[in-house]
Amino acid sequence: MTTSLSRIALSALIALLAGGAFVAFVGSATVVSLLTQAIIYAVFALGVGLLLRQNGLVSFGHAAFFGSAGYSVAVLLETQAVPAEAAIVLTLLGVTAVSFLLGLVFVRVPGIAFGMLTLAVGQMLFLTASRSRGLTGGADGMNINWPNTLFGVSTSALTEPHAMFALCWAALVLTMVALALLLRGRFGAITEAVRDNEERARFIGIRTLLPRAAVFALSGGVTALAGVLAALNTGFVSPENLHWSVSGVALMMVVVGGQGALWGPPLGAVVYFVLKDVLGGYADHWMAIFGAALIATIVFSPRGLVGALQRLVRRRAATPAVLPATPRGAVHH
Amino acid sequence: MTSLVLQARDVAIHYGGVKAVDGVDLTLEQGQIRGLIGPNGAGKSTVIDAITGRRKLTRGSIALQGEDVTTLGVERRRRRGLSRSFQRTSIFGQMPVRKQVVLASQQMAMAGAAQDADEILSELDLLALADTLAADLGYGQQRRLDLALALVGRPVVLLLDEPMAGLSVQESRDLANHLQALTERRGVSVLLVEHDMDVVFGISDAVTVFELGRVIASGTPAEVRSDARVRKAYLGSAA
Repeated sequence: MTTSLSRIALSALIALLAGGAFVAFVGSATVVSLLTQAIIYAVFALGVGLLLRQNGLVSFGHAAFFGSAGYSVAVLLETQAVPAEAAIVLTLLGVTAVSFLLGLVFVRVPGIAFGMLTLAVGQMLFLTASRSRGLTGGADGMNINWPNTLFGVSTSALTEPHAMFALCWAALVLTMVALALLLRGRFGAITEAVRDNEERARFIGIRTLLPRAAVFALSGGVTALAGVLAALNTGFVSPENLHWSVSGVALMMVVVGGQGALWGPPLGAVVYFVLKDVLGGYADHWMAIFGAALIATIVFSPRGLVGALQRLVRRRAATPAVLPATPRGAVHH
Repeated sequence: MTSLVLQARDVAIHYGGVKAVDGVDLTLEQGQIRGLIGPNGAGKSTVIDAITGRRKLTRGSIALQGEDVTTLGVERRRRRGLSRSFQRTSIFGQMPVRKQVVLASQQMAMAGAAQDADEILSELDLLALADTLAADLGYGQQRRLDLALALVGRPVVLLLDEPMAGLSVQESRDLANHLQALTERRGVSVLLVEHDMDVVFGISDAVTVFELGRVIASGTPAEVRSDARVRKAYLGSAA
């Protein structure tokens, strides 16, 4: 138990330092901005992947949490209802609470019907944001009026590409650590049990609705964090952030990365953005090439890159070490 | 003097005009094994579902150790000591053996959950497989794990729905021995739905026979075996 805790703490520390060192070596602000976007989507994919991993549910509407977090911050700042710091905290707590309430209803619905329900809610929010010109700026979206300082730090310094990357990277690493700690305990075991066999779970005394709703809420909360980071990064939010295609992209990241480990979906997000940048330089319809890569992943490694890497590690571990040749004339006793 | 741990009175489950179970009375004494037999579709599994709260009663009541549990949900009945296994193996496939038994033990608020889990795994010869993923176990081992999950939390009543289904003769014999030993050691009462007549008549203290959702005979194995109606309806003249 202690070994596992130290391993998580050590991994987090190494990841934080590696992220800082990496970005210090990358001089180009454009590349850093691209990576920042990838990391924001990595947080988003982490949220979507969490739902799939712990509840076994596929959401086609998680952009609802991503976009509404951005809108929530934007509207709170626009109306000057609360300070920016409070707007961020209220947004994260609010989206998580709403996710929990939605989860209490949604997770009762099995399989594809659940997916359709999330899609319907997501599109409903998309249309609402598109048509509420007075509040959200309609289809044009709205600029976010961030104050000059945020948590005592100058906003312009915070949104400088290198600092923004460091902030997003730290948010990703710390969220993953928090989830890893939560899921290695009883909550993780309960949600795995419910996902594997809900009926048996009930017959070992687990009330199955609350853990499933809690996972949905956590997933919504993590996705909202991505939405807040995106709002800070771009200073802008539009109905596009709520569109089902954004949910679809996050889902693709999860499929490519794999949900066998927490780091799978974030890895998928990074791969997506790198491929988008590299392929985008060669082909206009780079998405078609990415689609082919997605099909290949599903066919050849249904558990995504995580599954492929885990298989590789297992195979290496299983390969017997080559024994040194016995010297001629040596006698074994 | 024996005490009744389970009493099902006038239990009925109707689906529209179909009477899956109708007017069934069942009792279980402390430490007793009662076999439930009957042809397919006779209502045996439905009665188990009714007792455990998986299906709502159309009529009747269920009492556990004198307490009426008719309106309680599955989880609360389980916490009060009403446990079951399923016709099809019901385990957590993607979880290691020990982890799931420990979880079940924690859910049952057992003090020393890990020790309780190890005790059960040891009794069912599964301790050596503690770190194995349940999905990787052999079928017989999975059936035993299913039983282990049902035994966690020292249940008062254990309802087993065809636990021998799909097992080899040797595996059935082993499981029957385990069952008998566990009943004695843990003082648990067992309601056993099973088609293997050798097992049922071999380990049961009492046998109840179902036909078309009703009880047609009940008594000691010898009494039931010699009942003309049972021989005609189910056992056949050779029994």
